[in-house]
Amino acid sequence: MNLAVEVAGIRFKNPLIAASGTFGYGVEYEGVLDLSVLGGIVSKGLYMEARDGAPTPRIVETPSGLLNAIGLQGVGVRAFVRDVLPRLAKHEVALLVNVCGDSVEEYAEVSRVCDGAPGIAGLEVNISCPNVKKGGMAFGGDPRLTHEVVAAVRKATRLPVIPKLSPNVGDITVFARAAEEAGADALSCINTLLGLAIDVEARRPRLGFGTGGLSGPAIRPVAVRMAWQAARAVRIPVIGIGGIASASDALEFLIAGCRAVQIGTANFVDPGIYERVLLDLRAWLERHGEDDVNSVVGTLEYPGLPRPCDSGGCA
Amino acid sequence: MPANRIAPLASREGLGGAYFLLTFRHPETAREARPGQFVMMKAGLSAEPPLRRPFSILATDPGRETFSLFVKAVGQGSSALCAMAPGDEALCLGPLGRPFTAPPAGTEALLVAGGYGVAPFRFLGEELRRTGGRGRLFYGGRTAADLPLLERLGGLGLEIVPATEDGSLGVSGRVTVPLEAHLDAAKGPVRLYACGPDAMMHAVARIAAARSLEAEVSLDPWMGCGIGTCLGCVVRVQGADDARWKYRCACTEGPVFDSARVVWPGEDDSKARRARGEGRP
Repeated sequence: MNLAVEVAGIRFKNPLIAASGTFGYGVEYEGVLDLSVLGGIVSKGLYMEARDGAPTPRIVETPSGLLNAIGLQGVGVRAFVRDVLPRLAKHEVALLVNVCGDSVEEYAEVSRVCDGAPGIAGLEVNISCPNVKKGGMAFGGDPRLTHEVVAAVRKATRLPVIPKLSPNVGDITVFARAAEEAGADALSCINTLLGLAIDVEARRPRLGFGTGGLSGPAIRPVAVRMAWQAARAVRIPVIGIGGIASASDALEFLIAGCRAVQIGTANFVDPGIYERVLLDLRAWLERHGEDDVNSVVGTLEYPGLPRPCDSGGCA
Repeated sequence: MPANRIAPLASREGLGGAYFLLTFRHPETAREARPGQFVMMKAGLSAEPPLRRPFSILATDPGRETFSLFVKAVGQGSSALCAMAPGDEALCLGPLGRPFTAPPAGTEALLVAGGYGVAPFRFLGEELRRTGGRGRLFYGGRTAADLPLLERLGGLGLEIVPATEDGSLGVSGRVTVPLEAHLDAAKGPVRLYACGPDAMMHAVARIAAARSLEAEVSLDPWMGCGIGTCLGCVVRVQGADDARWKYRCACTEGPVFDSARVVWPGEDDSKARRARGEGRP
């Protein structure tokens, strides 16, 4: 049974990747989890310098979901390369760095630092964080800026470039194509949905930042729909993200056309989720007579629509 | 090193009202937990509520490989745990966090608990008895019904001083009333430990600062992961070498903090600096 997938030239030993911001820098789980069980890890978002992040409270539970405004608190990319990378090198797991910036130049600069560092398999470009005042979602909410950032990162690195798209747009296919044209090797779909939770006693937002990003099972149908739309719109592979907490959830994204998936909020519920999902994924594949997880990708039978592979869309 | 594994409920005892004593089998927590540490718990794998909840550890039994929690069923997470039957499985990650610092020899430990904030102090009391330390527990609540653990605190070598706001049990008034009365009369060195509502811990921090006493508080913000990855539980704390406060994870750098270094809600930087200056003899 083959569970390995290849996305943007990166080999993942299975299609389950820990999503940015939900797994720290990976090393937090040393000794608690066998990190080599994971297909990959995406680091917490990194700017050039360390960041304080958003005011508290930063997280609030919502129905089947989590609304957060962490605001990309982080150590900065140089400290990450110096202190964290050597520790991660001992673990056999593909590492993607989530690249942030206040400006196009900063995205490129962070990417250049990563380019020269050993042990980084690829860059996920964060143009979709809803919880920062500058950058973030601004770049992911305008297709011209999306193109500009991705092109700048493309120029700054030889590493695979994987923009993470925002769901807070009208038509995600416009952004998917803009990123592809700018030289992206794959796409991560999607980041959190912009939300607001209100304390009715105080008549104030429940989060210190005000609005936040919604994640967890609550957003899964939206995420599957958008990942499916993006996968049909571009030739580069798509990594599906949004509310995955089981093998069945992961399979929804794979069947919708994603080559791999990221697990996010479910890491908080149970960081040991990977072994359970992999076990159930194998069982599903066996039950359906499949011996390769890749053969499930894009097999959605959608009434009235041709499958993307029928028109040569699968490179 | 914390362990992430299923913890079956070994026993469940109602203490009246919404209060329960829950005992789970989890060898690592039973063996390694220190007073002040916590576990992240969730009843089963249900989608609701989404997140685990942090609970201070009440007691451990390494021989039986169990630990106990004192839980008040107040919301979805705690209510689901309290509704479990023996044999039911919970998800448990623990033991987690920075424990209390033991008082120096000859120093009296003054433990200040508000409501279910008493949980870690039974464990700390055990430790004090084991090490031959001296301690006194000020255990406060709104009414007598909010002090259901009172009868379970014997044999710890702690002097117990109950206080209720309605005067139905012990000293009448807030828990800081008997604390201040004791401090006025105390002769030897003392060290404060507080766990309870934020306002109570802030009050203890002010008392400690005004009297140049050391105090540790166990903070209880919302937590996502319990292990420092989500950065959701950060609190404003000023380190010894910091020019200003930094957001620090209550789960990994706390939940126990030096009260003089905590920037409390409503305080600004300058107040924190003053508090820092005043907090040390």
